[in-house]
Amino acid sequence: MGHNHGAMARSLLTPLAVVVLVLAAWYSEMVVRVPEPPGPVVVTYWEKWTSFEGDAMRAVVDAFNRKQNKVFVKLLTISGIENKTLMAVAGGNPPDVAGLYGPNVAQYADDRAVLPLDDFCAEYGISAAQYIPCYWDIGVYRGRVYSLPTTPASTALHYNRTMLREAGLDPDRPPRTIEELDAYADKIFQRGDRGRIVRAGFMPAEPGWWNWGWGCIFGGKLWDGKTKITANAPENVRAFEWIQSYSRKYGATDLQTFRSGFGNFSSPQNAFLSSQVAMELQGVWMHNFITMYAPGLDWGASPFPHPSDRPDLANSTFVDEDVLVIPRGARHPKEAFAFIAFVQSQEGMELLCMGQRKHSPLVKVSDRFWKTHPNPYVRLFADLAYSPNAIAPPKLPLWPEYGAELNNAFDQIALLKKSPKEALDAVQERMQPKLDDYIRVARLRGDEP
Amino acid sequence: MRSQTRTALLFASPWFIGFSLFLAYPVVASLYYSMCDYSVLRPPVWVGMHNFRNLMKDEVFWISLKNTAIYAGMALPLGMATAIALALLLNTKVRGMTIYRTIFFLPSLVPTIPLAVLWLWVFNGEHGILNEVLRRVGLPAPNWLSDTAWSKPALALMALWGAGNAMVIYLAGLQDVPTEMYEAAELDGAGWWARTRNVTLPFLSPVILFNGIMGIIGTLQVFAEPYVMFPGGSPARSTYFYTMYLFDNAFIYHKMGYACAMGWIMFLIILVLTLVALRVSEKHVHYQGG
Amino acid sequence: MARSTDQRRQRHQWLVHLVLLVLSAAFLFPLVWLVSTALKPIEETMRQPPTIIPSSFQWHNFRDAFVYGSDKLGYIPFLVYGRNTLLLCILGVAGVVVSNSLVAYAFARLKWPGRDILFAATLATMMIPFPVLMVPIYGFWRSLGWIGTFKPLWVPAWFGNAFSIFLLRQFFRTIPFELSEAARIDGCSEWGIFRQVVLPLAKPALAVVALFHFMYTWRDFLGPLIYLMDQRTFTLSLGLQFYQSQHGGTQWHLLMAASTIVVAPVIVLFFFTQRQFIQGIAVTGIKG
Repeated sequence: MGHNHGAMARSLLTPLAVVVLVLAAWYSEMVVRVPEPPGPVVVTYWEKWTSFEGDAMRAVVDAFNRKQNKVFVKLLTISGIENKTLMAVAGGNPPDVAGLYGPNVAQYADDRAVLPLDDFCAEYGISAAQYIPCYWDIGVYRGRVYSLPTTPASTALHYNRTMLREAGLDPDRPPRTIEELDAYADKIFQRGDRGRIVRAGFMPAEPGWWNWGWGCIFGGKLWDGKTKITANAPENVRAFEWIQSYSRKYGATDLQTFRSGFGNFSSPQNAFLSSQVAMELQGVWMHNFITMYAPGLDWGASPFPHPSDRPDLANSTFVDEDVLVIPRGARHPKEAFAFIAFVQSQEGMELLCMGQRKHSPLVKVSDRFWKTHPNPYVRLFADLAYSPNAIAPPKLPLWPEYGAELNNAFDQIALLKKSPKEALDAVQERMQPKLDDYIRVARLRGDEP
Repeated sequence: MRSQTRTALLFASPWFIGFSLFLAYPVVASLYYSMCDYSVLRPPVWVGMHNFRNLMKDEVFWISLKNTAIYAGMALPLGMATAIALALLLNTKVRGMTIYRTIFFLPSLVPTIPLAVLWLWVFNGEHGILNEVLRRVGLPAPNWLSDTAWSKPALALMALWGAGNAMVIYLAGLQDVPTEMYEAAELDGAGWWARTRNVTLPFLSPVILFNGIMGIIGTLQVFAEPYVMFPGGSPARSTYFYTMYLFDNAFIYHKMGYACAMGWIMFLIILVLTLVALRVSEKHVHYQGG
Repeated sequence: MARSTDQRRQRHQWLVHLVLLVLSAAFLFPLVWLVSTALKPIEETMRQPPTIIPSSFQWHNFRDAFVYGSDKLGYIPFLVYGRNTLLLCILGVAGVVVSNSLVAYAFARLKWPGRDILFAATLATMMIPFPVLMVPIYGFWRSLGWIGTFKPLWVPAWFGNAFSIFLLRQFFRTIPFELSEAARIDGCSEWGIFRQVVLPLAKPALAVVALFHFMYTWRDFLGPLIYLMDQRTFTLSLGLQFYQSQHGGTQWHLLMAASTIVVAPVIVLFFFTQRQFIQGIAVTGIKG
């Protein structure tokens, strides 16, 4: 009997397994299917932000959803958004709105991965005149608008007033020229036991986010806007010589050891927040991290210094922004733009930028925004964005690669492995043929030059 | 016989589909793409051998290849030796072997992201645990992560923690060594080392070859750990490996054609190395029963 | 004489234990650190140098990791990720076992023209780097409209893979051919021989193939990364990166707590199956 029982169980096992599998396959299809609820059109929106930055955007989305009942925006947090969006477009299943980074726009527009927005802008009365010029410009590629900003950022010299004071410097008079910056840095610089660096005034490699761009601070250009890469322009070489002077005077290895002791950027052990480095180039967001991790820090912000022989380069600032785009293949582009337009309204934009504690990219700013903004230097950052010396990454589809080359050149000269001229010549030699290739293929494709 | 052929083809049919769809087609397609300018989003444009010619002139391609070769040269022998040593240790009859085996296999089960963060802290030049130990015993404590000379050895050391996978296969191979051979050797008065050298390793040699080839494939394609730990292959591209450059070309620079060309070159390199390994091993690998 | 050998053996045993213990400490370190970080308060996770034993044990981190983001998404992602991963494991493991046993049977125990050439080609494909295949395969799924669904992640399992075919073929060949012959004389069909003679004897090898695929699916990051688009469909390994964020503010303690939860089932599984696992590989004789 027992034998029979086993055989019966076994004969039942196979159909059972088949049923389980069919159920699993069916269920896995159900999970994937996103039901389109009747009522408002659902716009899927991918955004990269988490924590308080994400909360700020969520408040804007909620405000939009409450305000009208035709469109419902579904906000999803996606990490690695630029790759994911590309793959989703390639896979034919993109979101309706994606929150990319400003420097992605040229590449994505060139790949036809995002839709031009000019017609929509005209329909909603959105135009360049309403924006701080540099922030509008980031979304324009070859004369067409491909993205509109969410939150912008400009940079300034952040300095630790306590450390300046301790070095016998006037905390109310931050350095204005590169030469003053160097002199300040030397005064603050300290070594401890066994010659180890314990405190630095300034380090070009910290925080290391604009290593590609120091040449622009010295008036250099990275390309001519058409066909020529200008990586080894004299101004760029001069900037790299200045960077290398830090490795020479303080010792490349010593600086390395010093840096390896810094904690994560977002932690109380951050070099600037823990008073290990007195002066840093940082963006408008730095205030958030100061309040979070070093609320007692006595700090100030001022325009980044310029070379003393180039007063025309005063108020240089790196500008960048997060942007909204409509990927190609989006199911509801019209409804998507209705949401984008809401973000561009003064109401939506101030809600968002206040939530993220940045300045607004719009020309018109309410008094309330200025009065209630927690960052004491917010006007400085907004003013800097108007500067003729506002520097944005070049709008070159090759930029990710070009930027990586420049960062690598920076590493090499900071580690004294190459001379500035050598390093930049190498970048030039590498990138020019790539640009030539790009132009050649673009012609083959019949793209307008 | 005819009917057996039909039955056989029926049995093998899933693989005909799988082989053609997921291997043959993509291999041929990627060969075609490797001769195109292709960004996935727009139709490919035929450029002939241009990608391959450019690769030959591409300094970063050579750097990434050199880095990969150096890394593989360190990680492969080190990893194999460790895995074999662990397997030999775990094959002795002591109590609690189940637990030990599980422990040594553990690190290969931990997801990459948390593991990579851990290594960043272990190898930190100032406060890292490793340097703490090295200083205590009076050895030099290098800047593992920011010194171009030490970043690759650091990665090779890290890879040792993943020896568990290969170890399991060696362990399996050791189950096949006939116990009579050991007993005979012991009666001859052979010590542990002599037994290992003359009995165990020869018996294990086919498995060593198998793991060696798998190791070549694995180390040449090293990607996840350096990608998470050393963005852009810093410092100064000393940890910029082949697959990282391939990935960057494909998904960051949107140059799928170039990436496919790199993939093909990697395929040829692995093919040649495997053939060399097979040829070299001919004299040293002993198959049971000829 | 015998006693001294015994003593030597005992001493030898202690020595092995000592070495194993020291090595165990080194190999356990990542896991200990994982669990310890999972129990720390967030401020402590970033301390330089890091602490091994948390200053206070925050058991609620595990609960927090579970519900992280649920208020925003309206469901508990971690459970959803777990469900998705399990679905993929069930569908994939079943596919791998069924398809590869069939194919391996054809390679190991049937004669047909072109068999050996195809087998050699199959082995050679193990050397093709994945990136070579990635782009065209992606295009293939796109043309089917399957991007964003689970299908690219489990359907291929039903069409065999080189490693499993190799493993099972080696095993099937060790089963005496006389058994098949006897069954054939009894009038058994080839399917009957496969089901009633070969498969029952091949259980350990099938278990190995199933386990390998289970672990692979459980840990797979790249596949879900490129094929899945909606958070509702994410798997555990992909979900882990949500505790990270680009602008700082990574929830280290939650990331580690979630990782611990993800790793634990696999560790338990390996612990209980490792003997079969190893034996399974052993008898399949990768040795050729």
